[in-house]
Amino acid sequence: MFLDKRLTFVILSLLLIPLFDLLLPEWARLAPLMPTVLIFALIGLGLTVVTGFTGLLHLGVAAFVAIGAYTFAIATCSSYPFQIPWGIALLLAGLVGGASGFLLGLPTLRLRGDYLAIVTLGFGEIVQDVLRNLDLITKGTQGINPLPGPNFGWGELGSSSTVSWYYLIVGIIILVTLGLERLLVSPIGRSWLAVRDDELAASCMGVNPVAVKLSTFAISAGLSAMGGALMASFLGTSGEPSNFDFQVSIMVLSLIIVGGIGSLPGAILGAVVMVGVNSILLAKVADWLAATQGIPSANVFISPGNWKYLIFGLSLVLMMRFKKEGFLPALKTSRRASE
Amino acid sequence: MSKYLLHLEGVTVRFGGLTAAKDVDLQVQREHISAVIGPNGAGKTTVFNCVTGIYSPSEGTICISGSDIRERFSYKKGCFALGTALATAIALTGAVNIQTLFDEAINQRYVWGQPFPWSSFPSALWNSITNLPNSRTVLPFLGGLAIGLGGYLTTWRRSRHTPFTTVRRGIARTFQNIRLFKEMSVLDNVLVGMHSDHPPRFFEVLLGLPRYRRNEANRLRGAQELLNFVGLSQFINAPADSLPYGSQRRLEIARALATKPELLLLDEPAAGMNPSEMEDLAELIGKIRACGITVLLIEHHMKLVMGISDHITVLEYGEKIAEGTPESVQRDPKVIAAYLGDTYDGH
Repeated sequence: MFLDKRLTFVILSLLLIPLFDLLLPEWARLAPLMPTVLIFALIGLGLTVVTGFTGLLHLGVAAFVAIGAYTFAIATCSSYPFQIPWGIALLLAGLVGGASGFLLGLPTLRLRGDYLAIVTLGFGEIVQDVLRNLDLITKGTQGINPLPGPNFGWGELGSSSTVSWYYLIVGIIILVTLGLERLLVSPIGRSWLAVRDDELAASCMGVNPVAVKLSTFAISAGLSAMGGALMASFLGTSGEPSNFDFQVSIMVLSLIIVGGIGSLPGAILGAVVMVGVNSILLAKVADWLAATQGIPSANVFISPGNWKYLIFGLSLVLMMRFKKEGFLPALKTSRRASE
Repeated sequence: MSKYLLHLEGVTVRFGGLTAAKDVDLQVQREHISAVIGPNGAGKTTVFNCVTGIYSPSEGTICISGSDIRERFSYKKGCFALGTALATAIALTGAVNIQTLFDEAINQRYVWGQPFPWSSFPSALWNSITNLPNSRTVLPFLGGLAIGLGGYLTTWRRSRHTPFTTVRRGIARTFQNIRLFKEMSVLDNVLVGMHSDHPPRFFEVLLGLPRYRRNEANRLRGAQELLNFVGLSQFINAPADSLPYGSQRRLEIARALATKPELLLLDEPAAGMNPSEMEDLAELIGKIRACGITVLLIEHHMKLVMGISDHITVLEYGEKIAEGTPESVQRDPKVIAAYLGDTYDGH
């Protein structure tokens, strides 16, 4: 199905996780905790387009996640008059995110490398402040809730039906990866990779770097915003603006680096490893400590949640030292549409 | 049709106090092989960079087939400029007032659980727009107009002559220090050169429409033919940076040819090549000319240059010191002085 065989493998394993879960005792099941992980995988796929394929360091992904979450929230929440159907609101969030990515791209067209990274970093901070201060529209720091789940005619999908959520998000990821793979083997994707490898040479071959940057910024922002919308719908709230801070952007950046920068299966695996450690493994360890050792998770020193940045930092250092191309590095060989 | 394919007139390039090229005139005749030679630092690559839009000349004009290489301001551009200005003005005014408008037209008229009176929404929105104080509409509107128009015109002015517009005018180039797309395969490198050949739209690619598939198959065939032409067909799927040095230079030429140029600029194509590779290169350049493509090259290897060129221009310290056929240039005392370092006092 996929051009990259490793992607087929990753997607198949994702599809099989809930079945595998049936063999496990209740407390060890993975699928209920996976939706968050997979939403991060979707955001990571978005960042892969701009940082992995086009080579532009982007430190403000969280801003687009926030824009997506808030667009979705305003479009669907019953305290606003719009109350658009779930699917359309999701697409709307993607479009609004894409448009804001395009707008961020416009004044930064001539920037490269570090300068561009600084601008995206600043944008991430600005969006948080804007959301906080437009309180008549976004309800300021309260967040917007309750938000509906998807409804496909047999009742609304609440946060408790996690396996359905899981398959819904896997489905979206399959569509997104199929689309991105098609783009990647087309002239469009080749122009992205060419700009990454050598912008000057690419432009001397007729590639317009401005068009490449704008389109990848927009696609990346659109995917991140869809991730944000899914997150908001899954959690039932947009969350407050400060949830979308720099840590989220860095988390997404780290996960695509660990997975293998510029590789689609890498982004998914990276999300499973990085976010999985954070929201599954450490949470399980904390539960286990609380249940068997009598250590409350509020204990600052022993609580595993407080050690996560040490673990992330150390794993990034080790990763860069021993396998700097990531777990599933990007392919170098020719990827032709005819294959 | 102009006699010359490429015509530089009085091209001067200054970087701060340094004059890298001074009043350079250069003519390239159609289907000739022309060469620019000169000692290191003579401004040869600067001239190339000017032609391909990497630098813009401080003075002078560059003409391709008799018309200025810079894009003209057209009626369409004017419409785009006005449209951008208006859109920026409306967006900025909206951004300044969005909170008030949203509150008055939506929040205050919505009762939770009741259906929203959408039919009166446009009039309510219009009322709250007209109620805004002038300072919050006129100022951002005028500011937006200025930013939009200024931004568009500045961007346009800067992009009148850029590398990718040069390609559209039928000029392709290679680089002195090889600049292949290292992470991509040999085939993909050539395919990037075909970027401007029926570029597909996003939805065509996503849906895999037949027109796109057909064009892509044509591109693939074209790329394979080009790789055959330069003699690299056995490396088709290898990563570009795994090729031997001489082959990398050939790949750069294939990639440049993929843009279907009228004029091919080769920046020191023989640098670092051994004598047998150089012979193959001379043969390849001859083959390219036989296809009707004009070639302009920078080269240090006199044997290669004198053997294949129809016309030679000699630069020294950014100035043209001689030009003509290989024989006349070889005999020119200024050229001999420049190359052998003799003190020349012929003035």
